Amino acid sequence: MAPEFELLEHTSDIGVLARGGTRKEALLAASQGVVSILVDPAGFGPVEERYFKATGRDEAAQIVNWLNEIIFFFDTEGMVFVEFAVDSWTKNEISGHARGERLDVDRHEFRTAVKAATYHQFESHETPNGWEIRVFVDV
Amino acid sequence: MHLEKIDDYRWLIPRTYKAGMRTDTMIFANEQLLEAIRRDQSLEQAANVAMLPGIVGRALAMPDIHQGYGFPIGGVAAVDEEHGVVSPGGVGFDINCGVRLLSSSLTRKEVQPKLRDLVHQLFRDVPSGTGGSGPLRISDGDLNQVLEKGPRWAIEHEMGSEADLDHTEERGCIAGADPYAVSARAKLRGKPQLGTLGSGNHFLEVQYVDEIFDDQTASQYRLAKDRIVLLIHTGSRGLGHQVCTDYVAQLDEAMRRYDLHVPDRQLACAPIHSPEGQRYLKAMAAAANFAWTNRQCIAHAARGAFKRIFGEDTHMPLIYDVAHNIAKLETHIVGDRKKRVLVHRKGATRAFPGQPVFIPGSMGTASYFLLGQEGSMRETFGSACHGAGRVLSRSAAKKGATAKEIQKELESRGIMVQSLTREGLTEEKPEAYKDIEAVVDVVHNAGLAARVARLRPIGVIKG
Repeated sequence: MAPEFELLEHTSDIGVLARGGTRKEALLAASQGVVSILVDPAGFGPVEERYFKATGRDEAAQIVNWLNEIIFFFDTEGMVFVEFAVDSWTKNEISGHARGERLDVDRHEFRTAVKAATYHQFESHETPNGWEIRVFVDV
Repeated sequence: MHLEKIDDYRWLIPRTYKAGMRTDTMIFANEQLLEAIRRDQSLEQAANVAMLPGIVGRALAMPDIHQGYGFPIGGVAAVDEEHGVVSPGGVGFDINCGVRLLSSSLTRKEVQPKLRDLVHQLFRDVPSGTGGSGPLRISDGDLNQVLEKGPRWAIEHEMGSEADLDHTEERGCIAGADPYAVSARAKLRGKPQLGTLGSGNHFLEVQYVDEIFDDQTASQYRLAKDRIVLLIHTGSRGLGHQVCTDYVAQLDEAMRRYDLHVPDRQLACAPIHSPEGQRYLKAMAAAANFAWTNRQCIAHAARGAFKRIFGEDTHMPLIYDVAHNIAKLETHIVGDRKKRVLVHRKGATRAFPGQPVFIPGSMGTASYFLLGQEGSMRETFGSACHGAGRVLSRSAAKKGATAKEIQKELESRGIMVQSLTREGLTEEKPEAYKDIEAVVDVVHNAGLAARVARLRPIGVIKG
């Protein structure tokens, strides 16, 4: 199945439900979901590259930390990523890279800042069609 | 969920409601607010608060309670300093998110003709600070001083006066803050953001005094009907968010060593006196000091904007600045004896007797200035609510009127709004929140904080 995501209702925060044929694809879809909360991704190109490293004692921690990389690069450099790639996913760490472009408020549409990805109601599991990840972010 | 009704403003979730609750949870609300509260997971989360190891007294939920993660927003829990835990999730990502109210020497009549210019000036001078850009260039050494000293750093750099510190909770500085407990990543996020508003529900509002309920207190703060005031709502920005992220991860690991269990992983905790708990408290204090400095720098920029429009002799004294996401060591009466407790306030304001309390309403509606009352010391570890509290999810709020329509509607009511984003208007529209009048009614009638004045906005700046 093609990677895809939908945003979920929550009184104060926003959830991302991401699906893909594999766990890796679901993570890439979740990454696109988080970006779509920050900005309208239209108009951003794969201009600059940054490396992602997300360690953690289990899958939940690794996925949450990976998504927090997106928030970190946005907050510090205004980077908005449109392409993500997972290079390796070991027992303790996901490493990969992402390509994107810096936000220019005159050209791009900024939506809302995201404080962090959380463990609240976190899910990551196999489904009959592939893999599904659910994560809530604090905005 | 069945709640035991105590009286018109108090409801109890008994500790027998579910396994793991160590005490009862008390909800402060009326029937009307409860109906809204029941629509999401707030009450279930309020019951979760009662599971915090070392909790003393009751777990508490304020009338603006709404669903957060793990803890509800609008929750208060005091834990025993000796045997209790500290939970970064019980404070929240936006450490020392809070509000600051400035008075002014201006009246509504004087401001109204130049309102458009004022709002534009404020929008220019107080940026939202998106994507690594901010108004202040500070060195790493400066940042460490901000984390250690709080707004005193800003005052040393001619951004305010000693009187500002006199009117700030803790004088803007929690002792024991350690810049070295704050990660390099947190510092990288925070450094360009000092003096910035952020987005989401953060705002700057030009308001006028619409009604006075307590003449004596109002005159003590030189507030009269139609007096212009400025309300600032923001927090510790990316620095605080990253501190929370870092320590949730560290305490998530530590919990296994201490054999602690919580109903939601986002509530990861550690004993207060453990090395991990102590380190979080030092980092949290540093982030709190950063937030007070942030509001100090914003107040300085806003004072400059007012002076530019209304002249150099425009005077804007600080009424008070209070945190509403924080954990603080305080002494309270528990049972019949004094006890040192760590009070977690997540979306709740300290409301010590005689202390100003501010309850901002939703965009375009009234805000309240109250004074903490004795009842707060007896029942809520000196706390009251912090806002109106959301009822609509952000996506539900976005359905309906467009940003332009909301802006027009507010303008037709004499409220000028400038927002960096469309989401700042659609997600924060008045209908997304509970009725501020009902929320204030509960804290007033429950004896937690008493009404002093109602404030209405005429200018709104959103990130």
